[in-house]
Amino acid sequence: MNPILLIARKESRELLGSGRGLAWLLALSAVLSVLGLLFVSNTELSLLDNAQVVTMELGTITALGALLAVVLGSDAIAGERERATLIPLLLSPARRTDIVLGKMGNQLVGWLVMYLIGLPYLWAVGSSGQNLAQACAYLALFGTPLVLGFGFLAQGLSSRAAAVRSALVPSLLALILLGGPVMLGPSFRQSAIGSWLDRVNPFAAAINSFDSVVIDSQSLSAQLARLAIVLIWLAATAAFARSSATSMNV
Amino acid sequence: MDVDVDGLTLTLGGRPVLDGVSLHAQPGEIYGLLGPNGAGKSTTLSVITGLRRAASGQVSVVGHDPAREALALHREIGVLPERSGFYDWMDAPAYLAWFAQLYGRRLTGPEITAELAQVGLDGRNRRAIGTYSQGMRQRLGLARALLHRPRLLILDEPTNGLDPRGRREVHNLLLERSRQDGVGILLCTHLLDDVERLCTRIGILHQGRTVFEGALSELATASNEGESYRLHLRTEPPAVPLPPGVELLAWQGEWARIKLDGTRPPEDVWRGLLAARWPIAEIHQEAGGLETLYLRMTQKEEGPA
Repeated sequence: MNPILLIARKESRELLGSGRGLAWLLALSAVLSVLGLLFVSNTELSLLDNAQVVTMELGTITALGALLAVVLGSDAIAGERERATLIPLLLSPARRTDIVLGKMGNQLVGWLVMYLIGLPYLWAVGSSGQNLAQACAYLALFGTPLVLGFGFLAQGLSSRAAAVRSALVPSLLALILLGGPVMLGPSFRQSAIGSWLDRVNPFAAAINSFDSVVIDSQSLSAQLARLAIVLIWLAATAAFARSSATSMNV
Repeated sequence: MDVDVDGLTLTLGGRPVLDGVSLHAQPGEIYGLLGPNGAGKSTTLSVITGLRRAASGQVSVVGHDPAREALALHREIGVLPERSGFYDWMDAPAYLAWFAQLYGRRLTGPEITAELAQVGLDGRNRRAIGTYSQGMRQRLGLARALLHRPRLLILDEPTNGLDPRGRREVHNLLLERSRQDGVGILLCTHLLDDVERLCTRIGILHQGRTVFEGALSELATASNEGESYRLHLRTEPPAVPLPPGVELLAWQGEWARIKLDGTRPPEDVWRGLLAARWPIAEIHQEAGGLETLYLRMTQKEEGPA
């Protein structure tokens, strides 16, 4: 079997079979459960329009997916280095690029699992609305490159970092910096800086697309510019992670 | 030559870590790489295995340049690093099977059991590696290094954490691989017992430099400062002054113990004693043991404090 697939498969087994991976998935499921419960039981949230609830759920799944990707990415190489498992891997016939690509494959599996975990919650809060199918499709279309981008960024930093923490902190910072403006009020987002940030920020591009499609029922053609931003983000972070193969020192 | 290293230099963090390392191991030979902590042994191994690039010097390992042909090299060498981690959530058979696939081998259940059995591990044991003792982890690391039938084994402290019986088993396994399969072994250790039992030739590193390379018997000659000898005499020695550089330590019956201060080659001393009519029948060198010789060799290089 190809070393990339071997490494990706091993990593995925660790995510789904080890106590650490399962604990993360359980924690993310718990957050989605609490949020879903709030949507139906909280007086103020239960008054929200169904489409708005679905959009919030999409944003939450995406943010949690990005968080999981950052954790997986930060641990990908630096974690192996800390646990002294990187050297045997580097001494195997697998190329450094194979290792990087295999780890990137695990990011994809991690997001896929997160996506599958999120689907029942989406159905629970949005089954009575109109745009559930579009919501699921757009979560895949925009959420995948956005989330993977965060994972690749963290993985690139992980290759260069001596410890997981050294990769995790800047990756989380990037997640907060890009995700934070989305949480800011409409007045800031309508200002010159806010508007510019919204245009170049991949996180904002994905969230705004969810908004436009689920709430305003806009078509895909209206989202192409935003899709381009998210894809550029993915390409840039993938190139960064790929180039980090040479920095994978012992 | 399995390992051909000349004039290796490497600076890390502005500090010269390797400053002229040279090693030459023949195919099928068990070569011991010795040196005190911080001498540069593990760094040398990292260059030899292609994990680091040297600043200068020539390196060839089983015919490959580690810096340029790392993948081809990794197919032909088995390495047990000093700090060898495992995927603790896996069990040993699953771990070996996964690693074998990286080398393009698909191991069957009985093959995995055999691979584990040769290092003294039970292939039916499905315990997670995380629960293994240090000795069991060391054995698993050895099984991983042997997995793809390498031409050369590079082992960094392979008997660390093993009890005396375990060490003996590992010694026997390495000797068997070397003698039966012609596998070359580069053994990096600070356990001189490992060296005495296994190695045909050794290299001693000290402060990033090779201070000795050769057979164990050559080490005794090279560090010949104050070597002591037991002389079997046919009769009593004559009452004449001893030649310069020779000190009589003890004399009992037919045996005399003398010490040479190393200023003259032993052969000259023997000729001098015979000329002085010493009735020498046999000469036995009192080897101080590898440990004594090794300490002397590294102290000599350190110079006065």
